[in-house]
Amino acid sequence: MKVETGKNIQVKDVSPSGIKIIWQEIKKDKLAMGSLIILAAILLFVYGASLFMDAKEIAKVDFLSIYMEPSSDYWLGTDYGGRDVFGQLIIGTRNSFTISLFITLFTAIIGLSLGLLAGYFGGATDNVIMRIIDFVIALPQLMFIIVVVTIVPIFNVYVFILIMTMFLWTGKARLIRSKALSERELDYIHASQTLGTPHWKIILFQLLPNVSSLIIVNFILNLAGNIGLESSLTFLGFGLPESTPSLGTLISYARNPDVLENKWWIWVPASLMILVLMLSINFVGQALKRAADARQRRG
Amino acid sequence: MTLLKLDNLKVHFPIRGGFFRRVVDHVKAVDGVSFELQQGETYGLVGESGSGKSTTGKAVVKLNEVTSGQILFEGRDLASLSRREIKPFRKDIQMIFQDPYSSLNPKKRVLDIIAEPLRNFERLSPSEEKKIVQDFLDKVGLSPESIHKYPHEFSGGQRQRIGIARSLTLKPKLIIADEPVSALDVSVQAQVLNFLQDLQQEFNLTYLFVGHDLGVIRHMCDRMGVMYRGRLVEEGKSEEIYENPQHIYTKRLIAAIPDLEPEVREDKVQLRKKLTSEYESTYSKYFDENGRAYDLKPISSTHRVALQ
Repeated sequence: MKVETGKNIQVKDVSPSGIKIIWQEIKKDKLAMGSLIILAAILLFVYGASLFMDAKEIAKVDFLSIYMEPSSDYWLGTDYGGRDVFGQLIIGTRNSFTISLFITLFTAIIGLSLGLLAGYFGGATDNVIMRIIDFVIALPQLMFIIVVVTIVPIFNVYVFILIMTMFLWTGKARLIRSKALSERELDYIHASQTLGTPHWKIILFQLLPNVSSLIIVNFILNLAGNIGLESSLTFLGFGLPESTPSLGTLISYARNPDVLENKWWIWVPASLMILVLMLSINFVGQALKRAADARQRRG
Repeated sequence: MTLLKLDNLKVHFPIRGGFFRRVVDHVKAVDGVSFELQQGETYGLVGESGSGKSTTGKAVVKLNEVTSGQILFEGRDLASLSRREIKPFRKDIQMIFQDPYSSLNPKKRVLDIIAEPLRNFERLSPSEEKKIVQDFLDKVGLSPESIHKYPHEFSGGQRQRIGIARSLTLKPKLIIADEPVSALDVSVQAQVLNFLQDLQQEFNLTYLFVGHDLGVIRHMCDRMGVMYRGRLVEEGKSEEIYENPQHIYTKRLIAAIPDLEPEVREDKVQLRKKLTSEYESTYSKYFDENGRAYDLKPISSTHRVALQ
């Protein structure tokens, strides 16, 4: 630590940008660096490989090759429909990650804007936004999702993202609001007000950076958590159709005791994939969290 | 020349209660305060915790809603202006906050903190901006490389000086100093106070100095007002108040200043006891039946006291 500060003593001309700080932080943390490499490798491979794969071909049932063990033809064997598990794993990982990323992104955007507004202005604004949130929370989520799933003509990844976003933003908004409420009572916000800074600037440039560590941690945890989001719906029979494979679909094949006990190649790779993705996302998240807080930085 | 004039200023906070959160009562944080600040002077507001001195200061910079009364700054009533209309006045009235730990954004570099007011009011290139910030850092005695540091890398006194530098960048006419040294230890207090006085000379500043430390107020202020329960109970030149306090609250407040001489310690105790009994016997002379101080009455051309 001491040695590092000695090296950085030459006066820098510009404040280092956020991305630079994050990069320095990740470089300092071997675990985060390793996780980032693994994560990037998996994602690049999965998204790259899925471009060359024919999803329809993979979803095609082939009765001649049911429950085949891993071989050179089928790297990870086949499932009860004779479909290639490796292909399903690639496309499933892609689907699951895309779902997770977009749900997390959309809920973060909605939750962040409403939470900041409610927290910063308080009073009537806060009241209106919080009552809307209460209303959304009071709705029977699962029933709504099942009804929508039954009604929509084509049930695919985009519809799924949309429905889940509709219900999942409330928790974020409440979290951000509570933090913003306590931050706005601090003197630096008052100081900005007396310095003539307009509200929108205070919210974006004073309040937002101070809730950012909370957002990042929450974002990462959600990103990791949402990867397995569709598996519970799959379990109920309202998940994505088998034509759009996901990690949840693969894992839920293990409901069959025979598959669980004897046909490990169907569900173990998907479970490992979720484990590795979640862990590496979390490790990177830890580094990001430190980067967001000047006092915790190592770099 | 009168720079700032408060006329019967009232700041009441509603107390909500009951089923529909109706307003059931008000906290009269500031309840009819009037005084004037002349250009270039330092006016002190003293009082115990909760006496409304900070609220008065914050009302001037519109951090609190004014219930009624006028805040005349160079003849314009700030209390009646909207947030938008008040913006040009922000340049002239700045505030130094009590707590140097919460008044600086922990996520911002010193450069961004001090340049914030400049960015709101002036269009400057980054290099011009940096030069101004460097100048002010130099003035408040911080090293040039602090410009890229974060607030947590500084001590309390240094942070307070960053706060002072921020309030100076727009060259304001009036600075509201809300207990600027009460969070600092004594050796740093003197340093910051002397420094504030030097700046006053240099920039011809007017201070509204809010504080509870009577020694600090005496050191700093030309005139002062003593507040009690949202009312001014005595106002005048600092010497007049310290040498010849008239209101029983002021007398007790001044008797409470600790004396370093061990010989007079016994006398002090006696004096305080005497004042306590005087307070009990003459209470109605100073406070009405609701415990509210009377309106100020002049006893000399500069000295006003709240007497019946």
